[in-house]
Amino acid sequence: MKGFTARDGAAVAELDDEERMVVARIVADVGLLLGGEQFGMDSPIDRDAGTDEADEIFRHLRGLEESLTEPDDPAVLRLLPSASKDDRDVADEFRRLTEHDLRDLKVARLRTMWSQLSEDGPDWAVAPADAMSTAAALTDVRLVLASRLRLASDEDAERLHAEIDLATHALATDADDDLEVDPERVWLGMLYQALTWLQESLVQFAMEEDAGE
Amino acid sequence: MSTQEEIERDGAVATRADDAWVTIVWNDPVNLMSYVTHVFQTYFGFSRHDAEARMREVHEKGRSVVSSGGREKMEVDVQAMHGYGLWATLQRSGE
Repeated sequence: MKGFTARDGAAVAELDDEERMVVARIVADVGLLLGGEQFGMDSPIDRDAGTDEADEIFRHLRGLEESLTEPDDPAVLRLLPSASKDDRDVADEFRRLTEHDLRDLKVARLRTMWSQLSEDGPDWAVAPADAMSTAAALTDVRLVLASRLRLASDEDAERLHAEIDLATHALATDADDDLEVDPERVWLGMLYQALTWLQESLVQFAMEEDAGE
Repeated sequence: MSTQEEIERDGAVATRADDAWVTIVWNDPVNLMSYVTHVFQTYFGFSRHDAEARMREVHEKGRSVVSSGGREKMEVDVQAMHGYGLWATLQRSGE
């Protein structure tokens, strides 16, 4: 995996086939979590063309119904957080007004990222104008992973990095039999770290791009 | 930081209804410092220096007031922050 660097006027990262598959899959999972239709089933173009007025109204009714309560899944709640810590009315009204649009925005961005990752070849090219929306989509994926990894504080995040260092060291020295770590947690943690690193490189690109204008 | 204190002080004494709300961004362990800085720069139009000062306040103090105004405007700002994956809330200023 190579982070994003400027090449031919775009931000380009390199991921091998397996890395692309893993990242595309978690991206699609987060899309599903947000209530999006499964990525890769219909092309987005067909979906848009097939939306008639009745569909649109029904979608909005469903959205209104959904938006009355906070999501039960803590990961979804982190993607669509409450707009007030202590004022129920403010939080409810905000959710009613915005949740549907926020879901659509996030699902659309994830879908774009998924499509790019599903193309052939190692290059993942992001146009400068799309750098921040791609970085935002990476944030959403990282927020879901962090929720699953129970990262609630900066200290939790530091502890995770230490756990992964221990686990990778143990693997390298064939001492993993004695290790008291959950392999799934280590795997998710490493994916989280890789996406963090990719996002950081993309944000650096965006900052240099803006500073250069 | 001094800029930040001015905003909070102004907010606390505001009597005009259209200035009575604030948007607060809260710290989380996921969002990158560079990303938060760049979001503040691009969305609010802060200078790099001011954006970094607010980002540091979020990181070190747990929260920062990033905008003030009418409730509807604050809802727009909070929605934008949630769009970027930052956790933001709105409340009446001085609360």
